[in-house]
Amino acid sequence: MEKTTHFGFKDVATEDKQSLVRGVFDSVASKYDLMNDVLSFGAHRLWKRYTIASSNVKVGDKVLDIAGGTGDLAIEFRKKVGESGQVILSDINAAMLAEGRKNLTNNGIAGVEFIQLNAEHLPFEDNSFDCVSIAFGLRNVTDKDQALREMHRILKPGGCLLILEFSKTDSELLEKFYDFYSFNIMPKLGGIIADDEDSYQYLAESIRKHPDQETLKDMVLDAGFGFCEYHNLSGGIVALHKGIKV
Amino acid sequence: MQHFVLEQALNYLITTGSINVDALSGKTVRFSLKDLPLDVNFICTNERIFVVSDLSRKSDVDIKLKSNVFFSLFKGEDLTELLRQDKIVIHGDVKTAQLLVDTLQQVDIDVEEILSQYTGDIVAHELGKIAKNVKKVALQSNNPIDAIKDGITQLLINPQKSETFKNKHR
Repeated sequence: MEKTTHFGFKDVATEDKQSLVRGVFDSVASKYDLMNDVLSFGAHRLWKRYTIASSNVKVGDKVLDIAGGTGDLAIEFRKKVGESGQVILSDINAAMLAEGRKNLTNNGIAGVEFIQLNAEHLPFEDNSFDCVSIAFGLRNVTDKDQALREMHRILKPGGCLLILEFSKTDSELLEKFYDFYSFNIMPKLGGIIADDEDSYQYLAESIRKHPDQETLKDMVLDAGFGFCEYHNLSGGIVALHKGIKV
Repeated sequence: MQHFVLEQALNYLITTGSINVDALSGKTVRFSLKDLPLDVNFICTNERIFVVSDLSRKSDVDIKLKSNVFFSLFKGEDLTELLRQDKIVIHGDVKTAQLLVDTLQQVDIDVEEILSQYTGDIVAHELGKIAKNVKKVALQSNNPIDAIKDGITQLLINPQKSETFKNKHR
């Protein structure tokens, strides 16, 4: 029997998900940052800044940003690690990486390496990074457990994993508003600004299919991390999970 | 959020070379407050310290104490003296505990603020405290703009923790 997984609310063949997700990001890449600003009312910049501050990355560190897209985390990591450090910006999608390269150049950031890769198969040696981050990317990964095991493998002992992702709010009122906004307004805005309503319908659906805070914490621990803690941001609409390899 | 502030302060001191945590490398120390539902766990690894509230594994050193004793430790109270007075119970390596306490005593952090989140009987001036912290870090930082931006982010992301925010929205 064919193995299936979810793509938003649809069930699709496991081997098809990657190309479907690629299609979404090929379509939205050029408007990705603008759409993030519009849809989150600019809050994504604050969530990412909190992520950077929580990383404890310092001069000389080696950092991998997975699904780094347009490079906003990589820019800040680059400033933190200094000349002696190393930052790799990676994404499975070539169009997103191209946007990232353009964005870094426009911001005058040099020295970041770009690699197109699949989070489930990281082409790096064991115990080689001080920090691995993935912001708004994990929910698009087909085999999340495999990806988490790979992240654990490449982190040094004491290395830190940061997962910034949409999550579940515990406020009933906020949830009602958020549901209405996600399924009625977000796709429309996607249609108007990015000329792509379907991709933003997928975004709303994929958020609902993503594991909640506690489930993701358990997944991080199951992947081998010694510690994992999460912090809800904006009432739990987004959560930052922080895992530490021991 | 209080754990975040403490973690930021400790790692700032490590980065600037003000404290050295080599001797604590690989150690996990848990402070459990007997009178409050609060655990503070320090994970010392990879030349940095992570401060977490929830420890899903056994710590190397377990320190049980009351909140007022925790407070006095930060104020510079002698650990040996507190042990002698039975105000503190340590399971595990006392030397590691001493090393961590020595490190914590170098951090200028308002422990009353941390505890006030749990007791509810002290007014939590979170906004003022964080602002004070931001100002201090900014003054010491090589990159004050970044330090201020980090602080403002903290305020904006979790505004409900702020008394000012609460008062405005009552």
